Amino acid sequence: MRERFALNWLRIPSGMRRALLLVLVGWGLLLISDRISEFRVYQGASVATYFVAIVSIVLLTGYSGQVSLGHGALLAIGGYSAALVMQNLHWPFWIAFFAAVFVAALVGALLGVAAARLSGPYLAGTTLAFAVGLPSLANQFSFLGGEQGLPFDIGVAPSRFGENFSPYKWLFWISALFALFAVWLAANLLRGRYGRIWRAVRSDETAAALSGVNVARSKVLAFTVSAGFAGLAGALLCATVSLVTPGGFPLSLSFAILTGAVIGGVRSLVGAVIGAFTLVILPMVADAIAQGASDAVSTNLPAVLTGVLLIATIVISPGGIAESLSHLGRKIALRRQKRI
Amino acid sequence: MQQFVNTLINGASLGSIYSLMALAMILVWRSTRVVNFAQAGQAVLSTYVGLEIHRITHSYPLTLIIAIIFGALFGALVDLLLVRPLMHRVGDGPIAAVAPVIVTLGLLSAIQGFVGLIWGGEYRSFPAALSQNGFKVGLTRIPFSPFDLFILFTTLLVMLAFAYIFQRSGLGLAMRAAAFEPEVARLAGVRVARVRTIGWAFAGGAGALAGALITPTTLLAPNSLDLLLVFGFTAAVLGGLESLVGGVVGGFLLGIGLALVVTYLGSSFTFITAFVVLIAVLLLRPRGLIGQRSVRNA
Amino acid sequence: MSSRMRRLTGSVAALTVIGLALSALPAQATKVHSEAGVSTDEIKIGVTIPMSGIAAPGYNKIAPAAQAYLDYVNAHGGVFGRRVMLKVEDDRYSPTLAVSKTNKLILQDKVFAIAGALGTANHLAVLNSVRLGARGIPDLFVNTGYSGFDNPVKYPTTFTYLPSYVMEAKIIGTYLANNYPGKKIGLIYQDDDFGRNAQTGFKTAGTTFVVSKGYASGSQSSPGLAAQVGAMQAAGAEVVVMFGVSSATAVALITAGKMGFKPLKWIIGSVGGDPTTLKALGVPAAILAGSTGASFLPSPTDSTDPYVSFFKGINENYNKGRDTTWDNNALVGMNMAMILVQALRAAGKKPTRNAVVAALIAKGKTFVQAGLVPLGYSKTSHAGYTGYWFGTYDTNGDLKPDGGKYTTFVTDSGSGGVTTSNYKRPALPANGLPTNK
Repeated sequence: MRERFALNWLRIPSGMRRALLLVLVGWGLLLISDRISEFRVYQGASVATYFVAIVSIVLLTGYSGQVSLGHGALLAIGGYSAALVMQNLHWPFWIAFFAAVFVAALVGALLGVAAARLSGPYLAGTTLAFAVGLPSLANQFSFLGGEQGLPFDIGVAPSRFGENFSPYKWLFWISALFALFAVWLAANLLRGRYGRIWRAVRSDETAAALSGVNVARSKVLAFTVSAGFAGLAGALLCATVSLVTPGGFPLSLSFAILTGAVIGGVRSLVGAVIGAFTLVILPMVADAIAQGASDAVSTNLPAVLTGVLLIATIVISPGGIAESLSHLGRKIALRRQKRI
Repeated sequence: MQQFVNTLINGASLGSIYSLMALAMILVWRSTRVVNFAQAGQAVLSTYVGLEIHRITHSYPLTLIIAIIFGALFGALVDLLLVRPLMHRVGDGPIAAVAPVIVTLGLLSAIQGFVGLIWGGEYRSFPAALSQNGFKVGLTRIPFSPFDLFILFTTLLVMLAFAYIFQRSGLGLAMRAAAFEPEVARLAGVRVARVRTIGWAFAGGAGALAGALITPTTLLAPNSLDLLLVFGFTAAVLGGLESLVGGVVGGFLLGIGLALVVTYLGSSFTFITAFVVLIAVLLLRPRGLIGQRSVRNA
Repeated sequence: MSSRMRRLTGSVAALTVIGLALSALPAQATKVHSEAGVSTDEIKIGVTIPMSGIAAPGYNKIAPAAQAYLDYVNAHGGVFGRRVMLKVEDDRYSPTLAVSKTNKLILQDKVFAIAGALGTANHLAVLNSVRLGARGIPDLFVNTGYSGFDNPVKYPTTFTYLPSYVMEAKIIGTYLANNYPGKKIGLIYQDDDFGRNAQTGFKTAGTTFVVSKGYASGSQSSPGLAAQVGAMQAAGAEVVVMFGVSSATAVALITAGKMGFKPLKWIIGSVGGDPTTLKALGVPAAILAGSTGASFLPSPTDSTDPYVSFFKGINENYNKGRDTTWDNNALVGMNMAMILVQALRAAGKKPTRNAVVAALIAKGKTFVQAGLVPLGYSKTSHAGYTGYWFGTYDTNGDLKPDGGKYTTFVTDSGSGGVTTSNYKRPALPANGLPTNK
């Protein structure tokens, strides 16, 4: 089995193979983006943004067992950093994205030091307070632009892409590119040493510590890396709005990201993809159900659906849709083997 | 000086409500080791129910009593239908620490959506038990009304009642045993599951009381108690998340602290205060300002 | 290990492709006339507004009221035979959602124009990101007082509706100077750009406050406004200007009653000054009575006003919203719909986006509407209403014009002075149906 697989891949090193696969996926996405309506392209950009945000939760909650209800605040830090870098230093937008990752990771490291000493509900409550408190600070400091925020404009596509290249497609290309980059990074990380350490710490802290793992350090590192991804997601989110404002990071955003992660499956990158799609599709489903009903129904249905889905996922399949699918896959494979 | 005294008084009356919310969260924590993020949603729901009762009967005592009973019943139902099966399912598995947080969050979202479906998103006013006009001291009126006094007394009463139940009664002993050593308690003949449900019911009642007492001054909407949740949790942690007295003291400290921040630092710092206080307390005194034993792991 | 990795990445790819393919199902086809959103029998208009969440109360009544008037017009022939339909999207007062919902309205629902978008930060995000101006999409009657939206060069298709916060503050400032010279004046404002915009206006008007205190948006529900009201009391403010949203205004007034703080006069800004809302929020009539309020529309309880009684009738018969209590929000929505209908009519029998913008610039000032102050639409300005009148709340909590008749003041958002206006609004057309061309 393994031999055959290696032959198939012409003995390319695994890191390179991953990169190649992602290039293929990216190529597929580009082809698709040319064939669907502009609105779908725009939604695709949202999916990519949510995906990066959810990957950040997967790293934190799924792999290192820490809960954050305040990822919206880290997204805000990413968004503001990107906007400040672009506005004050006039660097190109793609450098601003990296600045967002860097600053958010830095704040994440500080938070992580505190978080490593807290567990479960304490960490959840503290991060909740963080998400409630941080955005309103923007009103206190004028360089953050107050309630109206700061512009963060990634502009339109360079003219060599042709006249018919819409801003939506440009946004999608950029979001998808960064999302692919993020998934490549995350996959390598999780396959590597730290992925193993995090999994060990998650399943049994004491055992991990006994086998020589520095538990506290591994948790801080997980928080830092997760915050970096959150920062990227924040910058992407602000790019879709062309603006970063304190109102752009409400508590509901933090909850939405967590919702996506849980429903998709908090322990896998596939789950993150499913979660991101769920977040974009859920309001459309609610809209379709509420078609023709009063506005009270259509406006409150998404909240009810989200809540019910969250509870149902945890109760029925705590590993999310991704895990259910892989269970199903394994069952089918097993049956096929038996038949042979 | 006058302003400083007024700020303290304001903070204290605010603090008594944070205390009630903290009490509710502590009760659930003590009985099931779960921080109930749906507490704000449960309180909103019971307050809306109270509002309906008041519309029909125009009787305040009835309104308050039914709201509390409803809150308690709903709390018990949440445990019976949601938390108990959940704990059973996830057991000590890898998501054991995460699952309750997410389920109570899901419940919060579902309740708020449901409330919006039934009662709409408009702000509502809610009646007060007594006059909200401040007492007169000499010629000036102080920002402390008969209703504030009512809230204060109610809070202390609730605290004392629960403290008595926990420390002195057989039920209290069973609850403590069920929370800390469920296996041992079970062997000793305590019906652990039932005792836990009672804890959830008590908490639901206390949360309902907090909701009914804060809304006369701050209005009611599906999301209006979200901040009360954050401040209530902060107060609970201030007190160590275990001790009822600690929660009440934490509530008062937070209420007065917030009032001072708004008066002397500016209102933009209102929301970040809870975070700063939480981080400071958890890092410097992980057992809370008044905590005795136990660590942060549970 | 590598096989698992391959499965993982493989499934990521497969799922993404499937997902995108699924989401690429064709959008519903619309009968396109010549312009997006216009078919032979319908004109589609989009609006993003908070219908749920913390900012929804009050504002969630505007769009259903507007649709009620449009339904009435539709039942009487529509706009040259076409029904006007509002597609309402809930943005929960979040800039991110406002942008994504506006994109949905334009790309999927293919609306002809956006009308009545609400919220400063929200709409700023929409204008920056969706670039309504550059795409020629009319952005009509923006429902916020932020003065920056009136900028025909930067936002060529954007037209505002409310008088700006700067205008309001300037007019209140002048009113204070004329009526309360030498008094100690206090200010409670929302600690964001809404409040800061107002402070700019007060500065222009030369108002000095002995005390001014902000409140963080949202903090009215916890911890409340006792600290702010206490500061007014401590400073001995005789006249207090409350420049905030309804919920905060209600909490401030209730708290003042609680603390026994009775200034000589409360002056309540128009954003939070709707008496029906305030009363529903439990503000005691004893406090509201005698306070001063400002508005640009007639008082919703003024039954002698032909526009008010006409719209009130429409509200009773056509409003399908959840809460149909007649108040200023309903009046704001209906009046906006009436102006919208005229803008569409003025664009002709084959309306185009450009024609609507041109019509508002050329004729917008002359449209029939309920406002007691003039609309400011012109080639150089896209500002909607340009002034206010002052009134006193009576013992029922109704806002009654001072001196028994509406005296209106007008100004601009710049450094221009405040003057009394002798504007006479057009009479209500027969059956409330505009006949303009």
